[in-house]
Amino acid sequence: MNPLELTLGIMTAVGGFVDISELVFAAKAGSKFGYALIWVFAIATVGIMVFGEMSGRVAAVAKQPVFNLMRHRLGLKLGMLTLLASLIANLITCAAEVGGVAMILNYLTGAPFRLMAIAGALVLMASMWVLPFKWIERTYGLLGLFMIVFAVALVAIHPPWDQIAGGFVPQIPKGLSTKELLIFAYFAVAIVSAVMFPYEAYFYSSGGIEEEWGPKDLPMNKITCTVGFGLGSLLSIAILASSAQLFTPANVDPQLLGSSALEVAIPLGTTGLVIALLGMLFAISGAAVETCMANAYSISQFFGWEWGRHRKPREAPRFTVAWVTFFALALLIILTGIDPMQLVEYAVLFSILVLPLTYLPLLLLAGDKSYMGEYANGPVGKTLGWLYFALISLAAIGALPLYFLTSGGQG
Amino acid sequence: MKPTRRIKLISQLLDLPLIDSDGNYCGIVDDIELEGSPGKKTRLKALLVGPGTYSGRMPGWAMPLIRLIAGDRVTRIPVTRIESIKSFVQLDSKAEALGLNKAEDRVRAWIPEAGAL
Amino acid sequence: MRRLLFLLLLAGCSKGPEADLQYIGQARSAAAEWALVNEQAADDKLTGIYVDAMRKSLRQQIETAKAALTVPDSAYAHEMATLVATPDNAPPQELRHHAEQLKQIEDSLESA
Repeated sequence: MNPLELTLGIMTAVGGFVDISELVFAAKAGSKFGYALIWVFAIATVGIMVFGEMSGRVAAVAKQPVFNLMRHRLGLKLGMLTLLASLIANLITCAAEVGGVAMILNYLTGAPFRLMAIAGALVLMASMWVLPFKWIERTYGLLGLFMIVFAVALVAIHPPWDQIAGGFVPQIPKGLSTKELLIFAYFAVAIVSAVMFPYEAYFYSSGGIEEEWGPKDLPMNKITCTVGFGLGSLLSIAILASSAQLFTPANVDPQLLGSSALEVAIPLGTTGLVIALLGMLFAISGAAVETCMANAYSISQFFGWEWGRHRKPREAPRFTVAWVTFFALALLIILTGIDPMQLVEYAVLFSILVLPLTYLPLLLLAGDKSYMGEYANGPVGKTLGWLYFALISLAAIGALPLYFLTSGGQG
Repeated sequence: MKPTRRIKLISQLLDLPLIDSDGNYCGIVDDIELEGSPGKKTRLKALLVGPGTYSGRMPGWAMPLIRLIAGDRVTRIPVTRIESIKSFVQLDSKAEALGLNKAEDRVRAWIPEAGAL
Repeated sequence: MRRLLFLLLLAGCSKGPEADLQYIGQARSAAAEWALVNEQAADDKLTGIYVDAMRKSLRQQIETAKAALTVPDSAYAHEMATLVATPDNAPPQELRHHAEQLKQIEDSLESA
């Protein structure tokens, strides 16, 4: 294992963990329920560790990405349904991320939102055109490390660490009304969805193929998923905790993307604010690129097209047309004027509905000895995998009713 | 696995990706052609690739839309062109020689070379 | 189960202070955040561009919430109208006062 590669891999995972949905829901969760939803972040993070590791392992051993093998396991009809559902969910997510990029550029420059959406999208597309895969992943992942300022800000406000630690224990706050309980449940579902977004498994497994992983890379895969995602999750928890500490006493339920940056500005001033905005910009930009590429990977792999950014655009023409088209569609959605915060709600809702279909084939494949040989899921992997599949299925069933009953968590 | 041995058609062949001799993806095993008759041995004769094979596998109402978007082409890959079957089907020839990836070549004409590292 | 059905019914109710509860909450939150922004701006902790953008968005939130109200001639509607007419750089205490007024109305409706 190359220590430099491992370190870069972990740092990329940390910087790339947070996206617009986690930013928004972490801040909202903290202001509404204090530290009581930290355990949901922790459980969901273990879930993405489990499935992330599986998708990397399948890529390294079976040498095929999830979507190729997904169609093989589910067949054409169910596979097509999964493809369409995940394309829609990822497109909405991508549009939300593009909207997020535009909002942050507006906070940084004051330039009009629509202009920043177009400019941001063009810059991101140019980076995807010019840079090979590894540079795309590393650039956005490492620049996303500016997000560490949120952890620094949390330390600076001297929060009650014992209460934060207590938040890791599964709990439902006492004394909640029925309506508040439903909102709590909605937030739990939304957090699980935001942390375990389907595009992450597609992007990670395809990335493993792009980087030509083999069995020798399995230890690095495991460490990157556990340490990288774990540390990344702590950034989301820092946002939640700061929100609980600063916004709850002030009667603020943060509804804007910019509200998260305020958490850093309060203890660290203008410098902290700018670093926070830059961190958010790069983290969300990275997520926009990943969701777009996840869709291009999915459709290319489903139909057997040549794919990947380890090839030049001309060497994978339909894949290239696919990601350009998806990015353009995401931009068009934003230019219709829809509020990006509303898109974030739709993104988590659609994604949780797709999640069971995404993870089931992965779980079956990772446990299949005919593909994975000695690297198939062991007893721990199987148990965790099926437990989480049950959890996300429950969340998927509850998502729509909770959304309507709570007006999207608004009450 | 060699294609001459016993094979489970659904779980070990159908919907696997195809990779040509240059290592390029060139489609998915959308359907299979068998030879044999009742009471006799059934052999794999060819792989069928293309949206024209979907009509037996997708609902009837979806087919006009599929034809409109993707056409109804079917490319036949004789079993003799299969080198091995693992988590993908390895072919022994280039995609162009087998009549595959024609759409890829058409789209390539629209993609500029410039700019990519 | 009965409470759940009641909530479903409530979700379907389209008029009255109960239906306006979420908009009162949105306006209260926006006013409170506006106060926070102005307080931090006075301490030179924010950039001018960020402050302008946040004030604009928060004011827009209050306007949207006010426009969605089903009881336009209510105490909370007047409170929101006052907020909409408030200058961008209003003192934080003034904005907090309005937020607290809305919070009191919100709490009394929730406990009813």
